[in-house]
Amino acid sequence: MHKKFTLIFLLFALLLSGFCRTLSDKQINFGIQAAQRDLWEEAIFRWQKAILSNPESAAAHNNLAVAYEKKELWEEAKKEYEIALKISPKNSYIKSNYENFKKNNEISDKEKKDEKEKKDEKN
Amino acid sequence: MKFLIKKRKMKKKKKMKKIKFVLILAFIFSYGCSSQSYYKLRIDIPAKPTLNLNQFNEIVITNFLIKKETKDIDLNQELINYLTTEIGQKFKGKVSSKNISFGSEDVFNNEDFWKNLSPELKRSLLLTGSVQYTEEIRKAILAKKRSRFEEPFPPEKALSERRFYTLNLDLFLIDTESGKILYKRSFKESKGYENPKQTSYFAFFDLVQAVKGKLFSNILGERKIQERYLISH
Repeated sequence: MHKKFTLIFLLFALLLSGFCRTLSDKQINFGIQAAQRDLWEEAIFRWQKAILSNPESAAAHNNLAVAYEKKELWEEAKKEYEIALKISPKNSYIKSNYENFKKNNEISDKEKKDEKEKKDEKN
Repeated sequence: MKFLIKKRKMKKKKKMKKIKFVLILAFIFSYGCSSQSYYKLRIDIPAKPTLNLNQFNEIVITNFLIKKETKDIDLNQELINYLTTEIGQKFKGKVSSKNISFGSEDVFNNEDFWKNLSPELKRSLLLTGSVQYTEEIRKAILAKKRSRFEEPFPPEKALSERRFYTLNLDLFLIDTESGKILYKRSFKESKGYENPKQTSYFAFFDLVQAVKGKLFSNILGERKIQERYLISH
């Protein structure tokens, strides 16, 4: 009898988590479709909603960061990328996005090297 | 009696099997179908500007400190003309030019000098700096390119000559009211040309254009097409 209850409970939990995931995924996919049509405000709304129903969604955080970049909200974008990487540190897509984001906001390494070379020449 | 107990046990076993089956199905549905897919987007994202130019009404471009005179090209005039036109197209305020006399390279860090230069200018920026443009001819023995068909003889070697041009440009954006440097960057651009008739004048514009790209990306936050991934799960 005890075993039976445990099994039912597990089944319920699994279905519930699956349902939440589906809800969140729906919002994420809707957001992607909006972004592909250049409707970034709508995309942001959808991904924020996805995060509300599933705060552990690395995809939603990553996508939201991309949208913030597009909207020139640099600090917000950085925060979202960091959360996404914390949730899913090995995700190559998030890593690639974050690297490009950092490059976009800093002087590139080559340029830094050029400046260093020039300073050395002066000295 | 024994038969009934056995039947009940069988029923229980069957039920358990059913539950297990549903559990496995649910697991497959919730996790098995969640393979990650991505969408590569090419979007124009502006670079974060290091300086907010909107707070200034005017940019005054001064003449530049020439570190080494160049033949065939009036570096100061060409630079001022180029920068005035290019910045004028992007900057909403006024763009003008001013002639000043430099003592030495230390002048760029002299806040009083810049503060007293144009006291009438309010909320304005001075674009100034130093420049050096050099030409160099490099010679090397290089193998000639092979023709499309197999040749029985080894490739011929010949003396090859290339012209290399280097533009060293130190740029400063200085606040006219405080005399403080708000933006400072050293650019070093060089390019080699195989064409022996390449003129230093045309090469200069190739190099200054490369500087423009980097400078504008820094101070105006120009948009660039970039790749980003959107993830669906």
